[in-house]
Amino acid sequence: MAPADGTPAPVLPAACAHCGETTPTPLRRVVDGASRLYCCRGCAGAAEWIADAGFGDYYRWRSAPGPRVGDSDDYRDWDRDEVLDAHGAPVPGGRTIQFALGGMHCAACAWLVDKALRRECGVLDVRANAVDGRLRLAWDPAEVALSTLLQRVARLGYRPALPASPGDDAARRRQRRRELVALAVAGFGTLQAMMFSEALYLDASGSMPVATRDAFRWVTAALSAPVVFFAGAPFLRGAWNELRLRSAGMDTLVGSGILLAWLGSVVETLRGGPQVWFDAAVMFVLFLLAARFIESRLREANGARLDALAGAQPATAWRLRDGALASIPARELAEGDLVQVGTGHALPCDGVVDGDEAWIDEALLTGESTPRRRQRGDRVLAGSHVQAGTLRLRATAVGAGTTISQMARQVAHAREQRPALADWAEATSRRVVGATLLLALGVAIAWSLVDPSRAFPATLAVLVATCPCALALAVPAAIARAQSRLLASGVLALSADALPRLAAIDTVAFDKTGTLTQGEPQLLGVRCFGTLDADAARDVAARLEAGVAHPLAKAFSVARGPAAVGAVLQPGDGVEATLDGARWRLGRRAFAEGARPAPTTSAAAHGDGVDDPDDGTLWLTRDGRLEARFEVDDAPRDDAAAAVAALREGGLRLTILSGDAPVRVAALGARVGIASGEAHGGLRPDGKLATVRALQDDGRRVLMVGDGVNDAAVLASADVAVAMGGGAAMAQREADIVLLGERLSPLVGAWRIARQTQAIVRQNIGWAIAYNLLVLPLAALGIVGPGLAALGMALSSLAVTANAWRIGRGAEAAPHGAPP
Amino acid sequence: MNVLLFLVPISLLLVGLALVVFGWAARSGQFDDLDTPPLDILGDDAPAAARRPSGGARRPGSPDAR
Repeated sequence: MAPADGTPAPVLPAACAHCGETTPTPLRRVVDGASRLYCCRGCAGAAEWIADAGFGDYYRWRSAPGPRVGDSDDYRDWDRDEVLDAHGAPVPGGRTIQFALGGMHCAACAWLVDKALRRECGVLDVRANAVDGRLRLAWDPAEVALSTLLQRVARLGYRPALPASPGDDAARRRQRRRELVALAVAGFGTLQAMMFSEALYLDASGSMPVATRDAFRWVTAALSAPVVFFAGAPFLRGAWNELRLRSAGMDTLVGSGILLAWLGSVVETLRGGPQVWFDAAVMFVLFLLAARFIESRLREANGARLDALAGAQPATAWRLRDGALASIPARELAEGDLVQVGTGHALPCDGVVDGDEAWIDEALLTGESTPRRRQRGDRVLAGSHVQAGTLRLRATAVGAGTTISQMARQVAHAREQRPALADWAEATSRRVVGATLLLALGVAIAWSLVDPSRAFPATLAVLVATCPCALALAVPAAIARAQSRLLASGVLALSADALPRLAAIDTVAFDKTGTLTQGEPQLLGVRCFGTLDADAARDVAARLEAGVAHPLAKAFSVARGPAAVGAVLQPGDGVEATLDGARWRLGRRAFAEGARPAPTTSAAAHGDGVDDPDDGTLWLTRDGRLEARFEVDDAPRDDAAAAVAALREGGLRLTILSGDAPVRVAALGARVGIASGEAHGGLRPDGKLATVRALQDDGRRVLMVGDGVNDAAVLASADVAVAMGGGAAMAQREADIVLLGERLSPLVGAWRIARQTQAIVRQNIGWAIAYNLLVLPLAALGIVGPGLAALGMALSSLAVTANAWRIGRGAEAAPHGAPP
Repeated sequence: MNVLLFLVPISLLLVGLALVVFGWAARSGQFDDLDTPPLDILGDDAPAAARRPSGGARRPGSPDAR
């Protein structure tokens, strides 16, 4: 399929047909017989390849737009033997290795990766798993280089990285399979045991010969034994542990219930008693196992998506020692080593620059996609990419000590934490267990006085019926489901209580730059007053801004000519530098014209003063003479208006808190649909803080959305802090929730999910408590027998878990709208 | 009722067999991802042109063999 042409079409910003990202300069290509727009050559190339290879079905099956392709990395390091030895394992005919594949989230992605790799010669086996985001690959190094295969995957937009902890990974997989086998044993065993129990039940008149009856009972005992002692082993072990620690918990109840039911039945069988309860024991085990299995699957789905973060560090490093360069596995690096990193490679460790300057892309950590200049003495972080130049650095933190590893751990830790409500539910169920054991004892004593023959079944029924399993599952199941839905839409909940608090908000305060807007200033107009023409003025401005690596530099496109040396950023005012012998200033009018900088206090701490001009303009002066005026503004995010409308529809009060000029804030408010009365401009960070506090004093619960860089104090004071933009935000401990993409609408989805989760948790807890209270007297009075009690209890646990699955249903149809 | 003497052992045997098969399937990773493989049957057969015949036929080393 020949591309029509590569010229940028003069059209409005459009969504890429491959990755869904909007771009102001789309490429038009004819792919698969239809003309489509793409954001970059990477995406267009991927789409063409997919069409040529006959995998166009991918676009029909996928549930979300694909990952942006961009430029792919260099994977040649992966062909080196020592790397393969360190991370792969030999198999007959080749080698095998495992990667965490960034961007592979849905079944269609996994299908595409699998198909794409199987086409290559020398590939022995491919397992792409969409559930845990892993690619397991076996190939023959003699026929194909691993780097070729990785390139293939990378050109489709999936980023291979080493999994954070391959050991854990294998252990988790084994654990999952063990659980599955246990579930199968419980399932098959229960079905068979129930079949024979049913025959015994149906013989109500006692017409069955005693020999047949006993034979059936023995067969049932044999069939239920593996269910109780193999599948039910986790419960028995748990009960034993709790007994040793002398703290009665859920497992005590479950374990003693199933053990009593089984042993009691065996005794009855030996004695030839009137009734056996093997059915109660096996049902109890089966349904509890099923509920636990579902819950742990929910949890696992969360974990898979975080690995791309930790996997960003490369596998090898070039160490400089005694003047000689040697390539070593990255994990053998030690602090203090001198490391060299070439253009296009990722940094293997944190460190301090120890050589000439280089341009570093720190997008992963800061969300800032323009490369920064780093020179001798600057700190650089693992996972950043060298864009230009060769970087030499002295390692200050390696392996698990690097900032990015710590961030990944922080996120993982937040995932492990439990919200207050879950703790409450567990504490309550522990108390219920204690009460139940006492109650069962009471029932046993009472019945043995009234009718000793019914004491055992009634006690067993109480034990089984009142087990607060549903209560213990009510919260974790809902939270796990909610978090996996959130992750799927690019929302990370960093604190355990984020969801309950998010559900309770009634006011949303937006920061402006980088939150409601794209945070990428665009140059709207230039007016010249001096001898320079517009292009020259823009050049000078670009060189000034590049000298301090300020984000505004983007507005002036690429600097033609070297960045200004010795440029000084006057926070809150502008930039000053000497260029070609003249003194240039760029910034606020007062500053540019040479008035002394006003004493800025709070703004200085944040260093973003330049996008804080009074009237939305920047002034350029040479030796105090006015040269040019630039109008710079920042376009709102594409979905800002839609997100604002959706939040307002939900009954939330919306407001903008911005440091920009009030006129511009009001103008932006009008564009996204926030009334001018609620668009507060000209606020210093302390002003923002005061506004949020004032709202809170009115009894409002405030959600603050910021870009995570400049708003630390406000974010910390808000009831819920949401940060935009990946890495930088994650490094901000203040953020409760991080939006990973460039869109605001996931926030709306997150808010809906939080509210729904809250409702479902309440339903679950209410249901669990109501059920236990209802069935308790019936069991104590002997109306409900052990079998029925087990069925009811287990179904109640399943109902609670199934209810949790409803979270986020129907939200899928929301704003994903994948072209084509 | 003597037929039970045959039917009961047969049913037990079948259960055992089912369990063994299930255990093998679980251990060989067939339940690891239940969403992706079903997509295969929806699509047309991909042109197998790019593969050399030798590569397609043998598949000795499974990554999950460990």
